[in-house]
Amino acid sequence: MASGKKQINQLARQLFKLSFVNGSLSGEQVAGVLAYLEKHAPAKPLAVLIAYRRLIVAEAAKSVAVVEHAGPVGEATLQAIASAMTARYQRPVTVSAKPASSLLAGLRVRIGDDVYESSAAGQLAALSASV
Amino acid sequence: MSTVIEQIEQQIAKLSTKAVRKNTGVIRTVADGVAKIDGLSDVMYNEMVQFPGGVIGIALNLETDEVGCVVLGDVSNLKEGDEVQTTGKLLSVPVGKALLGRVVDALGNPVDGKGPLGATETYPVERIAPGIMARKSVNQPLFTGIMAIDSMIPIGRGQRELIIGDRGTGKTTIAVDTIINQAKINRVGLASGNPKFRPVYSIYVAIGQKNANIVRTIGALEAAGALEFTVIVGAPAADNAANQYIAPYSGAAIGEWFMENGMDALIVYDDLSKHAVAYRQISLILKRPSGREAYPGDVFYLHSRLLERAARLDGKGSLTALPIIETLAGDVSAYIPTNVISITDGQIFLETDLFNQGIRPAVSVGLSVSRVGSSAQIKATKQVGGKLKGELAQFRELAAFAQFGSDLDAKTKAQLDRGGRIVELFKQPAFSPIPIEQQVVTLWAIQKGYYDGLDLKKVNAASVSIRDFFATRKDELLTEIRNKAALDKDLEAKIEAAMNEWKPTFAA
Repeated sequence: MASGKKQINQLARQLFKLSFVNGSLSGEQVAGVLAYLEKHAPAKPLAVLIAYRRLIVAEAAKSVAVVEHAGPVGEATLQAIASAMTARYQRPVTVSAKPASSLLAGLRVRIGDDVYESSAAGQLAALSASV
Repeated sequence: MSTVIEQIEQQIAKLSTKAVRKNTGVIRTVADGVAKIDGLSDVMYNEMVQFPGGVIGIALNLETDEVGCVVLGDVSNLKEGDEVQTTGKLLSVPVGKALLGRVVDALGNPVDGKGPLGATETYPVERIAPGIMARKSVNQPLFTGIMAIDSMIPIGRGQRELIIGDRGTGKTTIAVDTIINQAKINRVGLASGNPKFRPVYSIYVAIGQKNANIVRTIGALEAAGALEFTVIVGAPAADNAANQYIAPYSGAAIGEWFMENGMDALIVYDDLSKHAVAYRQISLILKRPSGREAYPGDVFYLHSRLLERAARLDGKGSLTALPIIETLAGDVSAYIPTNVISITDGQIFLETDLFNQGIRPAVSVGLSVSRVGSSAQIKATKQVGGKLKGELAQFRELAAFAQFGSDLDAKTKAQLDRGGRIVELFKQPAFSPIPIEQQVVTLWAIQKGYYDGLDLKKVNAASVSIRDFFATRKDELLTEIRNKAALDKDLEAKIEAAMNEWKPTFAA
């Protein structure tokens, strides 16, 4: 029974491993895991589900490049980013555009834990940190 | 001109389009100076990470789905969900001569209000200790200015000598006296213009101390004119445990700069008991498995990797370490004291009983030892003080027996009398180190029986009088002793003549 924090995380990781097909996250497998959890509820099911969700969200973020932009961004630019990221991470990467006026100018691409900073706000922050 | 402008514009264009990759994470929890972070998949062990608001941290626990970081700064503005970035750098502190006379925190930031440091170099806080081949054996003396130590438990440059004792037995005083003595020697040596003279720079690391105590120490160093040769690294009790944990390593990095650049340095860790406690706190919050006295398993390595950084390097300089450990009720067999005793090259044990009897410095001759220092002791001290440790140990043994009986033979009485005089002779006030040449004269006088006819209470006054007499009227002779560092027949004759000159001046 998963009762301690360590055991909860362990169970969540086991369920997470079961959510893959051929190395990539599968919606069907995730639905299967959820159905299994509904039928065979562990101790503290909410905690297990939260831990499981955290792992899935982190994994899903590795396949989506969130492009934050201050000005308009063309479809061609987004496609170029998607193909560059796909090549770099050697897995299919989709692009999601998100306007962010706080960047002042330029782009910021976030994929998983990595952030590619090419915005005016980012450069100003780096400059002020170096002074 | 236009081509130059074009080049600059090209450079600007290159910079403005260059995307910078950063590996990031998100704070999950912050508690007691430790942050648990989601993400940071590229972070390396001991890497510096950047929190919002310019706060930095060090990644200490790399786990499957989270990273445990100690936060070196104000955690009050950090909250769940804040972004954290890797820096790709190890924590570094400024080093160099620009730090002399300054008070810095555990990260090397000045805290004395004297403006920026002006240091141009930085050294990583965590460094691997010098290897076997780079080291040289200890054979140059480092005088503490404390007669009981320089004559019986000598310290050499590059040695690690532990100062251990209960609270309030004068541990810090011994360390501060040693720093003051280095400053005095430096001043004389630099003024002499001797090209072979090697000054000793000092680093005093205060870990978990009360701010008032640190201020007092700085005041004592300043009053003695020693601050200009000293760097103070402060991580007081009010600082978070992470800063207290990192402070001795920062101090070691500052000391290593002197050593690597062909200079000699002395570092005092005051004290490593509190350092171990700070590390225990961090480890418990990081949920590392705890062992004896709840210390983590690597508490030995915590101190061994720090103290191994003190060394004498072949063809370079040296770093001498004086770690301090506080014991409880004189128990040297506790966990941390035994660890540090086994790492160091000897210990100066201070006893509460001796301290309360007015014997200060309260050095316990029986329990104190210097494993490598005797090869660094100058010949003159060996000549006049070689037998003192044995005589004093014998005296303590006899004194314990003498308490039970009154009938003592003449030989025992003589030994007790002589021991009592040696004890009196070694009494020395705080912050008044004695130059080695004056120590030689003082000890020469006891070897030749100059204190024998005196009342026991006047022995110390007589020794002070001898030193004053020599300092004011026989300065050339003292210089000769200092330069020769050994007593020959001619020098002994001169000392004898001077002593005979002194004798009538002292009213017994």
